[in-house]
Amino acid sequence: MAYQEVKVKTPLSMIVLPVASICSFFLIWEGLVDFGFVPETLLAAPSQVFNTMVVKLSDPNPDGAVLAVHAWTSIQEAFLGYILSLVIGIPLGLAMGWFKVVEGLTRPVFEMIRPIPPIAWIPLTVFWFGIGLTGKVFIIWIAGIVPCVINSYVGVRMTNPVLIQMARTYGATNWQIFTQLCIPSALPMVFGALQIALAYCWTNLVGAELLAADTGLGYLITMGGRLMRPDIVVLGMISVGLSGAVIGVIIDAVEKKLLAGIRR
Amino acid sequence: MNQTASVANETVDYGRQREPLSLLRLVTNLYFLYSVSLLSFFVIWDRVAEYHLLGDALVRPHLVALQLYQLTQMKFAGQNLMGHIWASTQRILVGFSIASVIAVPLGLFMALNKYANAIVKPVFDLFKPMPPIAWVSISILWFGIGEASKVFIIIIGTFVPCLLNAYNGVRLVEPELYDVVRVLGGKRRDEIVQVCFPASFPAIFAGLQISLSIAWTCVLAAELMSSRDGLGFLIKRGMDTHKPALVLGGMVLIAVAAWSTSQILGLVERKICPWKRSIENL
Repeated sequence: MAYQEVKVKTPLSMIVLPVASICSFFLIWEGLVDFGFVPETLLAAPSQVFNTMVVKLSDPNPDGAVLAVHAWTSIQEAFLGYILSLVIGIPLGLAMGWFKVVEGLTRPVFEMIRPIPPIAWIPLTVFWFGIGLTGKVFIIWIAGIVPCVINSYVGVRMTNPVLIQMARTYGATNWQIFTQLCIPSALPMVFGALQIALAYCWTNLVGAELLAADTGLGYLITMGGRLMRPDIVVLGMISVGLSGAVIGVIIDAVEKKLLAGIRR
Repeated sequence: MNQTASVANETVDYGRQREPLSLLRLVTNLYFLYSVSLLSFFVIWDRVAEYHLLGDALVRPHLVALQLYQLTQMKFAGQNLMGHIWASTQRILVGFSIASVIAVPLGLFMALNKYANAIVKPVFDLFKPMPPIAWVSISILWFGIGEASKVFIIIIGTFVPCLLNAYNGVRLVEPELYDVVRVLGGKRRDEIVQVCFPASFPAIFAGLQISLSIAWTCVLAAELMSSRDGLGFLIKRGMDTHKPALVLGGMVLIAVAAWSTSQILGLVERKICPWKRSIENL
């Protein structure tokens, strides 16, 4: 071997400090509530939240469904909206990046809709679709499509112009350049969009459920707030955060697998 | 007319080659396409509303404009239109300034000091995946339905991207730049002040832009849940009294307000850090 592997030893303090930080965070949280610095009507201790979680696994009271049902409803809505936004947003963005006609026809409308926060659509979707699945999927779709379109568009636009000229020189048609050069070179940007879109979808899912829903994690949070049960609110927040993080990790793994051969 | 110049041994042609005017060229003209797109958007909207294809829940565009005009003339829930716009903008400004003033220096400090990083990062990572809107309920529990709870949500929402971008901005500075300063005899202080801060400014501003759009989402969510003024209140009132014109008017106003604040931030950015390399983006 021409080189020796150098092992960099992590100093002990760099291992201890993060662990200590997390532990003290939970201890302070627990202590604040247990010793009465913060009244129990405002914040629930971690142990209390854990108890509530165990109870909520099997008990539909007081908000009408067990935790698994809430989570399943949310994941279903988020997933449908997310997939729809990918299926429509990515091809649209790619086409906008390469074909001038598509760009000219779609961009003004897209630019008009883009600055509206997706939550602002909630009243209209309630008018149009009621408070069922469709309305929420629509809002999540609106939320997810924006980063998909932008990233695919920028990805195509950032294709190395030298390569495009070379392909032209070798007599490639417009369509061939688009499919065989621009799309592969835009892929890393497109995959970046997957993560961003997921985060957007997840945020707006909670927003959609806060206002118009009868099950789902966002609904759990709202009901907890209305019933003055901070343990349920915190439980809902933790479930939302946790499931979002898990899905993010899964997408990251898929991305690594698919993009293994492409230099980032 | 051909204007040519020689740049780095290459002859560059600055002259425009005029193609003959043809129908195809006119149809594929970008501005022509833009106007076709906008026009057809409004016409389709108008027709859909006119023939009640979506029930009575969509109104014709000119009725939305009329509604907005009426709001400027009379008071609605104690405020005229400017009052509502200002109520929302004020919340954004307060929350956004507080969050960025705390989060950006904290992010810079975390990137420069590994002990601060080791302490703050794990706790921060716990909060990161939680959508800011999930905090709405608990902030109402804590702060009631007044201004404080709305500002709190905006701070929560804008804190994360501000801090993350400042942090990543410093960490992604090209190491060669540090080497240059060291070769020229700079100390650690020079490295930070002369290299780190200027090089991380574009990333920080990108974070501020993201924060701003999240701030609008947050203020809207907070106002939809509980408020007596603001743009979210207009939309909510339109929803409760089933007035689509009011809802659509609120959406238009939010879009305009969000767009103009981000334009202003962009202007400030160009003023403060003109060295930002701009990629062609939307």
